[in-house]
Amino acid sequence: MDIAPYALQLFSGLSRAMVLFLLSAGLSLIFGVMNILNFAHATLWLLSGYVTFSIFTFLSQQFGVSPWLLLPAIAGAVALMSLFGFALERLLIRHTYERELPEQLLLTFALVLILGDVIKLIWGLENRRINLGVRPIEMLDTLVNPYQFVIIGTGFAVAVGLWLFLQRTRFGKIVRAAVYSRSMVSALGIRIPMIYASVFALGVGLAALAGGVFLPLLPMALGVDLDIIVQCFAVVVIGGFGSMLGTFVASIIVGIVYSFSILFWPDGALAMIFLIVIAVLIVRPWGLFGTELRS
Amino acid sequence: MTAKTRGPWSRLYAGFGISGPVTLLLLAAALGVPWLPGEFWTHVGTEVLIFGLFAMSFNLLYGYMGQISFGHAAFFGVGAYATAMLFTALKGADGQIGIAEFLLSLLAGPPVAALVALVVGFFCVRLTGIYFAILTLAFGELLFYIVFSWYTFTKGDDGIQGLLPPPFFQDSTNFYFFTLAIVAVAAAVMWRITESPFGYALRTLRDNQRRAGFLGTNVRVHMLVNFVLAGTFAGIAGALWGPFSRSVNPGLLGWGESGIAVFMTLIGGAGSFIGPLLGSVIYTMLQAVVKMYTVYWPLTIGTIILLIVLFAPGGILGMIDKRIQATRARKDAAGADAAAAAPAKEQRP
Repeated sequence: MDIAPYALQLFSGLSRAMVLFLLSAGLSLIFGVMNILNFAHATLWLLSGYVTFSIFTFLSQQFGVSPWLLLPAIAGAVALMSLFGFALERLLIRHTYERELPEQLLLTFALVLILGDVIKLIWGLENRRINLGVRPIEMLDTLVNPYQFVIIGTGFAVAVGLWLFLQRTRFGKIVRAAVYSRSMVSALGIRIPMIYASVFALGVGLAALAGGVFLPLLPMALGVDLDIIVQCFAVVVIGGFGSMLGTFVASIIVGIVYSFSILFWPDGALAMIFLIVIAVLIVRPWGLFGTELRS
Repeated sequence: MTAKTRGPWSRLYAGFGISGPVTLLLLAAALGVPWLPGEFWTHVGTEVLIFGLFAMSFNLLYGYMGQISFGHAAFFGVGAYATAMLFTALKGADGQIGIAEFLLSLLAGPPVAALVALVVGFFCVRLTGIYFAILTLAFGELLFYIVFSWYTFTKGDDGIQGLLPPPFFQDSTNFYFFTLAIVAVAAAVMWRITESPFGYALRTLRDNQRRAGFLGTNVRVHMLVNFVLAGTFAGIAGALWGPFSRSVNPGLLGWGESGIAVFMTLIGGAGSFIGPLLGSVIYTMLQAVVKMYTVYWPLTIGTIILLIVLFAPGGILGMIDKRIQATRARKDAAGADAAAAAPAKEQRP
């Protein structure tokens, strides 16, 4: 048996899974704490990709081209986008907490449309990518882009970091408590509005990280955000809303299933994912790792 | 005593709510559209009607049952494809189709959409809220990808072209009145359904599902029947779409298309029967005009939706209705004061 195509799909599936995880983790946190399903999450990711690209280009002009400039570019984009997320929550999102679910969805969907066109206005229709000039390495009888291991490594590192952050820090504990009972946290004298804005900023920051890290692998293009957000919904549903472990496992499932389906049914890779979502929602609506209480 | 002083508009309002007067105005406007110069507005008017019907069918789920579907376009698209495929099978080698065959192909859309809605709904009605929304989204996308990739059966992403209706219906005014008649009948049937005991049972499901269950309403069956009804009416709209645009494509089933129904409903107002149709008038006409001047249509509609969600949560009709009711309450209060000031002729307990 020729192992090469499977190895290729495995690595690309895992790197895809990591991007989905970085996005879905933020999505799941925001939903867990604020009960808002943020349609615009992937659009913010896309915007971050373009911002990273611009910072990278600017730095390259200043200091000469070097792949290492990607690091400050990503850091800058994460900082900028977190601030943007914080402002977005304060200015818009917070007005919808008392509203019905469809209105919340519509508000964030309006942001998808607006931000999509803002990207078009600022960066035009051209796709943007960063070429780091890394050479593919030979392994398992095929050529693999080693940058995929950077993405996979980043994903795992963030997963561990996020877990430690939520388990060990004071802020993490407050966030977990807020997922459980917002009114109780508020009654204990913690300023819920600040927690909300910070969680939103954290989620957008994670998305920005994903956008920057992914940039050398796939170009940022208009419309990709819609594909990705639907897959993130799939991840969050399969894993269970509010469960970090579930989100991580589900990201890997979705990433791997997607990239292996491409081998057998290229047009239907997403259909396979939706089949899994349907199966999970019918059999276990609260997801593989979620708890039945939240509905 | 106030009843005598009320005019016909007030009586219409009393009988049908805000939908009464608005429907009358829309109908009058609809009859006038073909007299506007050029074919452009007749064309836009037909689109308004088809999407209006689609949005109203969506509102059976959202406004009356309280569940939001992000996969409603699946039934619109399935209806469109059923009609398009029968149309293609029945048309002659010269690309022409007879009146009888044309009408027959239109009839294929709704039942096929109903059947698919029955299967999809069977699973979806077990869930509510965000889970209902995502399951409908997942089914819609699944159907989209099936149509998209089943090349031998549906022609895949090429879509089906050449759906040229018979000569009589090629005239845009004739097709417009044909669509108007179908949409008017469909809307009347939908109105009847929403005002029936079944329609009121749906409203209790919307307001409190558990309590409705305690009262003996069979929650799942009611939801499923409504889901199939909504799918059928979406199928009628879809069946009209193919011959109108002369083609169908898989995008008709996608969630972008479902989103249009949601937008229209929210713009017009989900709280009233006719709201989604008014939403379609605003959305479709605005789109036709804005696209003439700019490619930034998403930015425009996104901003409008943002403003509506923030400042007019009940949509346009919701906002107007609130005003009317406030004015009436004030008038009634003033009337009551006047009555109290005058010597009471008759006292009733």
